[in-house]
Amino acid sequence: MPRTWHRWIPAAAAPVVVGAVVLGGVFAASASADPADKTPQQVLELAASSTVDTFSGTIEQSSNLGLPDASGLGGTGSSGSSNDGDLSSALELLTASHTLRVYVDGPTQSRVQILDDMAERDAIRNGDDLWLYDSKDASAVHSTVPADASGSTETPAEALTPAELATKFLDAVDPSTKVTVGDPVKVAGRSAYDLILTPDSSTTLVSRVDIAVDADTGLPLSVDVFAQGSSDPAFHVAFSSLSLDAPSADLFDFTPPSGTDVTEKALPNRADAPADGSAPDAGSHPEPTVTGTGWDTIVELPASGDATLPSDTSMLSQLTTPVEGGHVLQTTLLTVLITDDGRVLAGAVPVDSLLAAAAQ
Amino acid sequence: MTTAVIASPSELAIKTDGLTKRFGRQTVVDDLALSVPRGSVFGFLGPNGSGKTTTIRMLLGLAQASAGDISVLGERMPQRLGGVLPRVGALIEGPGFYPFLSGSANLHRLDSADGFAPRGTRSERVAHALDRVGLSHAADKKVRAYSLGMKQRLGIANALLAPRDLIVLDEPTNGLDPQGTREVRSLIRSLADEGTTVFVSSHLLAEIEQMCTHAAVMRAGRLVAQGTLDELRSAGATRVSITTPDVEAATRVLLALGLDPGLPDATGPVAASVAGAASAGQPGTILSAALPEAVAPEDIVAKLVADGVRVRGFSVDHASLEDLFVALTGEGFDVVQ
Amino acid sequence: MSSSDSGATPVRSGLTERRNRRSVGLGFFASELAVLFRRRRTWAMLLALAAVPILIAVAVRISSSGSSGRGPAFIDSITQNGLFVGVAGLTIAIPLFLPLTVGVVSGDSIAGEANTATLRYLLVSPVGRIRLLVVKYLAAAVFCLAATLTLSIAGILIGIALFPVGPVTLLSGDTVSIGDSLVRSLLIALYATVSLLGLSAIGLFISTLTDAPVGAMAATVVLSIVAQVLDSLSQTEWLHPWLFSHYWLNFADLLRQPIEWSSFGQNALLQLGYVFVFGALAYGRFSSKDILS
Ligand SMILES: Nc1ncnc2c1ncn2[C@@H]1O[C@H](COP(=O)(O)OP(=O)(O)O)[C@@H](O)[C@H]1O
Ligand SMILES: [Mg+2]
Repeated sequence: MPRTWHRWIPAAAAPVVVGAVVLGGVFAASASADPADKTPQQVLELAASSTVDTFSGTIEQSSNLGLPDASGLGGTGSSGSSNDGDLSSALELLTASHTLRVYVDGPTQSRVQILDDMAERDAIRNGDDLWLYDSKDASAVHSTVPADASGSTETPAEALTPAELATKFLDAVDPSTKVTVGDPVKVAGRSAYDLILTPDSSTTLVSRVDIAVDADTGLPLSVDVFAQGSSDPAFHVAFSSLSLDAPSADLFDFTPPSGTDVTEKALPNRADAPADGSAPDAGSHPEPTVTGTGWDTIVELPASGDATLPSDTSMLSQLTTPVEGGHVLQTTLLTVLITDDGRVLAGAVPVDSLLAAAAQ
Repeated sequence: MTTAVIASPSELAIKTDGLTKRFGRQTVVDDLALSVPRGSVFGFLGPNGSGKTTTIRMLLGLAQASAGDISVLGERMPQRLGGVLPRVGALIEGPGFYPFLSGSANLHRLDSADGFAPRGTRSERVAHALDRVGLSHAADKKVRAYSLGMKQRLGIANALLAPRDLIVLDEPTNGLDPQGTREVRSLIRSLADEGTTVFVSSHLLAEIEQMCTHAAVMRAGRLVAQGTLDELRSAGATRVSITTPDVEAATRVLLALGLDPGLPDATGPVAASVAGAASAGQPGTILSAALPEAVAPEDIVAKLVADGVRVRGFSVDHASLEDLFVALTGEGFDVVQ
Repeated sequence: MSSSDSGATPVRSGLTERRNRRSVGLGFFASELAVLFRRRRTWAMLLALAAVPILIAVAVRISSSGSSGRGPAFIDSITQNGLFVGVAGLTIAIPLFLPLTVGVVSGDSIAGEANTATLRYLLVSPVGRIRLLVVKYLAAAVFCLAATLTLSIAGILIGIALFPVGPVTLLSGDTVSIGDSLVRSLLIALYATVSLLGLSAIGLFISTLTDAPVGAMAATVVLSIVAQVLDSLSQTEWLHPWLFSHYWLNFADLLRQPIEWSSFGQNALLQLGYVFVFGALAYGRFSSKDILS
């Protein structure tokens, strides 16, 4: 009598087939597409000459900065000081994983959506109008872009797109940076050059930055920042889909829905973001001073009565460790020192460098 | 034990060979070789737990045999299950219905499961089947409200939904009143008259004896007898009983003819019960003895009369199947009444 | 030996005709749906699901004194637009109530038939074991659709009755017409239906393991809760994308402008994987099982 073991063949095969499909998808995605060979210099030029200013796409961003998930640290209360609110939202952007959708049509029309669970944050730029919309509390902030600001105004969300981020790293390429080209990669279904920036410094926390540069257009498609001593990227941002067609114009035409809490806000004159890739520290009014060069750059915010980071909030005490002369927020990529006299020093460097800089 | 003479395998509605079923270490059906001729009413007899239902489950492809071959209506089972089962109606270990549906809705449902049953005649066939088991009046009643006997009838109706070549009924009279039992019996007879082979299992001997042409007897998973009822009967001994007040003279005559009247305790349960009845009766004592083939009953009477034995009663009894089955299946057999 | 020559002619010749080819099984599928939807239990479950948005709407209406600030923000938006009630109801029902009802239907699928002893009669009809599995699964899928549609429609109707209705504000801050929002509500119900297909397949498999329907139902529901707990633990993050409940609440992507379809696609693929794997397991188990109930 034949036994019935063969009836279990599909059950044994099904997971194998599912696994094969999943892995096959991964392999297909990483299959090399082999664009024409280019020297690092040529790839840098290709990226610099990129003229793509009309596209839409989805961006996946994830961080492994060694910080607890900031979304779980909301204990300070939403009605806390605005500084704390800004800090936590900036931290949230840096530490949690996000999916973003970007729609860009020329330098003056753009929309970035951060797709949260059951919620969404939008930043819409349409000509002179800049809208920030948060569905969680149905609030909107409206600003008018000054005429002389050209296209450089960006929101924290926009700073997270691979293109913006890559530009900052590429701008920071100096003689101390070794630039190489790795094997071609595929990002969002497009073949790209893998530009590898390796800081030639032993004092920075950054060990390597990988930038995928689209072979066709020179548009940076992904950025991976690796910390010293880790093979997983500490910060990863990449297009998961990209279209170079012009997005629908309706998307930029934003009218806050009725019932929205609208605030008018004047745009601050924003200094250039530090080169280490951190999002610009929102609401930082005092003029920062910059010391060091390249990857060792340290940014120092002088103490100022009202803008001091509240070191006594539970969130900060949860995140920082006390050191002699202040508190340190240590991440795998970035170190922040808050001195007892209220200065804030930040850089992609070890604590000792910050302490030394603070002592000067 | 004699087996029915078999002309060719295609004449068999059911044939099994070495059919065995084990549950863990317990062998529930052991090396079973059934031969059910087409057109027969085949009684499948055995005490509770002797493996009848398990055998039927294997015949119908519900359970996988541990060993052995099965062919039903000339086709191998369970390999050709899809082609065979539409021609088989079955009641297996009691009826099973959706309590929240009416009797007729239940039959519609089961009929729709048969891919070969034409949809156009469904309502008509359901009504006809219900009519045959006398359930027309309760067709629209929820099965929840059916009595045990009504459910049993509905189960039989389900077996009759489509024209069948073989009908398998596992203990069909369970839960039926005497009236229902009679109806089932005549239903089975009419099915047989239509040419349908009926395979009916039972632990009740009387039932099998009254309606079957063939029978097989199971005991603890083994087949202990199989054949036509006549074949089975002839396998048992024929006995003569004499009622007489002259016990000693009669005994002498019987011994002289080579018959052994023995003592009540030596002749088995049936003789014992008869002897018991005799001791209470007035006309005389009953002497009973097995009848050898060489002796004609009339010779016994003649000799008795010639020797002056007052014969008040004389009978020749073919052994009842009951005797046979008690002998075959031993203790614990559930004899009717 | 053969006594078939004595066979009488059948009563009515029309009744003895038999199809010479097996039907595809649509008739049996229809019968399965009829049995499912003729049960009082099924209607009780659908009514309970319909009660979810109704209770939410009534509760919000009675205590409409400002937002609680807890729970999904659009529970609050119910008060501004009744068309949100259906979505709010789905959000509340997806973690527990929907899996509960789907667990009951899919867990009952085979074990319930075994329990009423109808399974052996279906199989000797013969329905064919694979066909029975497929039909049972499809019926469970139809129930999923009925459940999510019931919830959505009940929500929309009670919303229209109790709250103002107008153009709907999406998560992106854009406003769409009532018609567009109804289409999106339908899409969300479809999304929720697709979300439950994997769980239905799991329930079907568990149902083939036992003759006790209550056990199969409970096991299915418990698994859906376990999956959601695992999905919320950061220690099992590697597992999250493989959990059938992982995308359950991502139907919010249908409330963005433009609609974000990727979660619909990922969810559908994931559920398809579950249907595939647990369908094969159910086949392996059921086709080799002795029906002894
Ligand atoms: N599912 C099962 N598991 C183990 N043993 C079983 C099972 N079903 C039946 N048996 C055993 O098989 C034997 C025969 O049972 P069954 O075929 O139902 O007998 P019958 O129908 O002749 O009364 C019994 O001893 C019973 O205990
Ligand atoms: Mg039995």
